[in-house]
Amino acid sequence: MEPLILALGWVGLYAPLALGAVGSMIGCARAGSAACGALLEVESGHGRYIGVAAMPSSQTIYGIVVTMALRRELSVENSPGIFGLGLLAGLALLFSASAQGSACAASINVSKNKLEIFGISLAPAALVEGFAVFAFVFALVLAAGIPK
Amino acid sequence: MAEPYITLVSSLPYLPPFEQAERSPITRLRLEQRLHNLDTDDARQLAKAEALVSWRMSLAKPKTDADMVLRSRAAMQDISQAALRDFIEFRIDQQVILAGLRLRNAGHDASALEPISGASRWVRHIATHWSDPNFKLAAVYPWIGEARGYLDGNNAAALDSLMMRVIWQRLGPIAESNKFGFEAVFAFVFKWDILQAWLARDAAQAKSRFQDLIKEIKNDS
Repeated sequence: MEPLILALGWVGLYAPLALGAVGSMIGCARAGSAACGALLEVESGHGRYIGVAAMPSSQTIYGIVVTMALRRELSVENSPGIFGLGLLAGLALLFSASAQGSACAASINVSKNKLEIFGISLAPAALVEGFAVFAFVFALVLAAGIPK
Repeated sequence: MAEPYITLVSSLPYLPPFEQAERSPITRLRLEQRLHNLDTDDARQLAKAEALVSWRMSLAKPKTDADMVLRSRAAMQDISQAALRDFIEFRIDQQVILAGLRLRNAGHDASALEPISGASRWVRHIATHWSDPNFKLAAVYPWIGEARGYLDGNNAAALDSLMMRVIWQRLGPIAESNKFGFEAVFAFVFKWDILQAWLARDAAQAKSRFQDLIKEIKNDS
């Protein structure tokens, strides 16, 4: 039983980074695809679209920080906590990055035709980022309560 | 959420409402270049659908109603995309209803629908309700009354405009149902087709062409 609990601890330890990275890959690919399409249609402001396409990469950074915060000597006492916290934080980061990619793609798609709505069209992506930040911050807060 | 055509959809320009458009935002050549990103099967289905129900194809109708029914049946067997099938059925229904209104205006009875009996689910219904002004279909197709008014008043231009508007409005929700999918792509293509047809309308040219046709008929007789 003890090896299984320790294995789950390792899963939880690496989950925020791995799942956050998977989410960022999906999100950046979606938004990047939209940016590539928009580049065919617009004459200028290409950097703006590529910049928006990079927005879902922040979840990987959050994942790195959470993984670092959870890092400690794994034991039977702390592994279940690390597993639960790490896995759920990772899933939150995965889904938020993926959803943010869709929001960024939509923003790029509409703002290429109407530049003046570029800022406001990013609001949904910013909201999604906000939820990712909640998941990130509270993962850090709760990580402090897991036994060393 | 499958979004296979993100790049393709993002590379398509905004289409203004066709009645407000002053020029086409994209040429056919450029549109076809962009459509090369379609999956082979989707491209084939779109080409079949365009050949069947695009606005400009409806101007080059097959020789007989029976031909039209055969063509549509053959094409529908090859089209598996549910949204595209729904749109084609909507367009065929629209054409069948207009055909019914025209036949009735020309003094025919319901038996005149016989050649198109397999074209649409509504043919039998229209024949049954031949004497009703809107074939008892106004609840399903609210535009029938207005279309009938234009037909009665021989106002072909207004009828065309109404039909274009109805199709345009139908395509809006289709595109929204999958913003980065095949639905958005084919909705764009059919909207673009309507916009092109609208921009190609030239009253002076049409009048001149009409007068030429009258002269031809007079010379023949």
